[in-house]
Amino acid sequence: MKATSDKSNQANTKPQAGYSRRKILKTAGVLSAAAGLALPARIGYAKEFDGVTLQGASFASTFFKYLENYFPEFEEQTGMKVNFVTNAFPVFNQRTDLELSTKGSALDVINVTFIYSGRWIGAGWVENLKPYVEDPNLTPDDWEYKDFVGGTMAALVDANGDPHGFPWEAGAMIMIASRGDLIEKAGKKLPTTFEELVDVCEAINGVERTAAFTADKLHHWNYIPYMMGFGGNVFKDPPGNLTPTWDTPEVAAAADYYGALLSKYGPPGVLSFTDDQAMQTQKTGRANIRTQAITWGVPVAKDPDSRTKDTVRYGMVPGGPAGAFPGSNSHGFGIPVGSKNKEAAWAFIKWAVGKDISRRMLEEHGYPSICRQSIIDSELFKETLTLNGQDVASLYGEVLKLGGDSGYMKYRTVPQFPQIGDKINKAIERVATGQQNGTEAMAQAQEEAVADLKKSGVQIDL
Amino acid sequence: MSLRVDAGGQKMAAPQEQARVKPARDPARNRERFYWYCLWPAFVVLIVVTLIPTLYLIVISFTPLDLTRPETNWDFSTPLVNYNLILEDSRLHNSFWVQIKLSFWTVTIQMILGFLFALLLNSKSTYLEALRTIFLIPMVLPPIVVAIIWKVLYTPDISPFHWALEGLGFVVPSLITDPTWALWAIIIADIWEWFPFVMLMILAALQMMPEEYIEAARIDGASVWQTTVYITLPYLKGVLIVAALFRLVDSIKAFPLIYILTDGGPGTVTEVTNFYSFMQAFNFSYLGYSSAITVTLVAATVVLSWGIVRLVGWGKAHD
Repeated sequence: MKATSDKSNQANTKPQAGYSRRKILKTAGVLSAAAGLALPARIGYAKEFDGVTLQGASFASTFFKYLENYFPEFEEQTGMKVNFVTNAFPVFNQRTDLELSTKGSALDVINVTFIYSGRWIGAGWVENLKPYVEDPNLTPDDWEYKDFVGGTMAALVDANGDPHGFPWEAGAMIMIASRGDLIEKAGKKLPTTFEELVDVCEAINGVERTAAFTADKLHHWNYIPYMMGFGGNVFKDPPGNLTPTWDTPEVAAAADYYGALLSKYGPPGVLSFTDDQAMQTQKTGRANIRTQAITWGVPVAKDPDSRTKDTVRYGMVPGGPAGAFPGSNSHGFGIPVGSKNKEAAWAFIKWAVGKDISRRMLEEHGYPSICRQSIIDSELFKETLTLNGQDVASLYGEVLKLGGDSGYMKYRTVPQFPQIGDKINKAIERVATGQQNGTEAMAQAQEEAVADLKKSGVQIDL
Repeated sequence: MSLRVDAGGQKMAAPQEQARVKPARDPARNRERFYWYCLWPAFVVLIVVTLIPTLYLIVISFTPLDLTRPETNWDFSTPLVNYNLILEDSRLHNSFWVQIKLSFWTVTIQMILGFLFALLLNSKSTYLEALRTIFLIPMVLPPIVVAIIWKVLYTPDISPFHWALEGLGFVVPSLITDPTWALWAIIIADIWEWFPFVMLMILAALQMMPEEYIEAARIDGASVWQTTVYITLPYLKGVLIVAALFRLVDSIKAFPLIYILTDGGPGTVTEVTNFYSFMQAFNFSYLGYSSAITVTLVAATVVLSWGIVRLVGWGKAHD
């Protein structure tokens, strides 16, 4: 004890030598050891996209409401921050079209809208994703590019078959009757033909303050199955021959028919409805029948706030004299060529349409428009889409098959469709509000469409 | 220094010495030069921000520029193609007619309401001052907010206006989807937003108006109506013309209300020219054609404004 005291006294009595060589070496050794141990841990902790803010945009859809729930875990995995903005369908398309055309860098990941896919991919505004898919450092084998349902990729590939997007929605149009009970009470069944549809609407319209029919204002999507059902078509032979064929009795009859569905059986203001508004009219029981993509139909049965979840019924879109032509489409994620964060964008796409998120979206939110064949084939898909005892999964598969087999949806991905679709929208509005009959409205629309196609340098037969 | 005396008896320097005296700078010229120095930054900004884009607009109006077809960029092979299309485009012609109706009704009603409210509020009272501020609220709201307010009011499912009428047993159709009412729905919203601007301008002028004019007329036995028609209105002539011109030009630029409320519909009932031009450019990428429409619209606006000023004069109330 004493000796120790002495030593310590000695030490204390030594003059302060500052940092001796031994002390410096010792400290350096300790620091090196600490750094040596700590550094690998620090490196292991660094995330690939630390500091990156990914700017994303799409039109509003239930898909993004659900996907947002998983953003925190993706941000935690990758280190990037996701800023994803959704707008109404026309607003998103218009803004993105402008952004892409200027090859701007404001957006890193976008929805490649079905009707704009031909235009955006054809103009070279959306990145070719083939190199990303084929690079093993960027994409693991088990991501399985070939697992996407064939039809859903059709609009997202270029002329060489290279992918420029990967789908998050496989839209299949079905018929949704939110108050199936009213149809049954009226002694009717879910309509399967145009005649039956009018008959049912006539019987149930206004019963319990429920309008018989509802729709959103995107008539160039909603009206086309009726146009084709009557025997008409949008173009003569798309994509090779884009001559509009709207001055025919079939197209005019379909316009009159669909216009009457809206004006006679639609709720007040139906012509101004967005997708969300139309869905709300069904969820609140203010309107009954709608023919629209399954994405907007399933929440009527699944959402806790839906007042019609126990009464909703599903069926195929009714057919006309020429058959049934339910619409099908797909929307996918793509990367603008001007993006400065392409690898981060690819990481996001890979994650958002990966099998894991697709399965969880189905399991946890009942998201129906799944694009992965392995999930569509699963028992989970069938279970989740058995709604009020109805096998909606089979309806979905049937519609995708119909669209894929006959190719009647080709009209929709031609680069000029946005301006052509506008003419159809306006014509249906004129018919539904009684400004013109079907013949006059579609003839005027045809004239305007021909002028627009000529403006685009498209050769037509007329 | 030799001096000589002029005719008035003033002493003057001899001519050779006058030449030696350095001439003083002309202060008026100096002031003018100073003004120009002060103005040139503003001119540069004007050239960069306004003139160059306008020139670009004019230049590309002579090309068929379509953003999806790069080969149309700077293609002057058919310089009048867009202007020929303007002559044939019936939907554009319809948009001109819609624009005329919209401008006529909004400007006329805003001027009348603005004038009446200005007369009513033209007195010194704290209560009226508070009321004036309330009237200004629509004008200071962002146009998009105004459009959303009216969208709510015009949407039957969520509109307190529709609920109230339904409660009273009246079923009113959705004004924005009814072809008879859609344009009026826009006109009403536009009037609500902008008549306070007219009111404010007129009110400011009224408060500058010498009270002697009115007093003298009253002493001469003029009625309120006569005082308004023969004294107040002529005094306000200049302000009224400026306010009307402002509103006319603004009505031609009407966009947010149409974009949010009707999207130009139903059909093309509310599709005004600048909305149509916007669609051509930003929905369909026809930048060349859209530029030609815009150039035509600008030219029409300038000619119209000039014509009105020539016809009515800038107001010579004070003469």
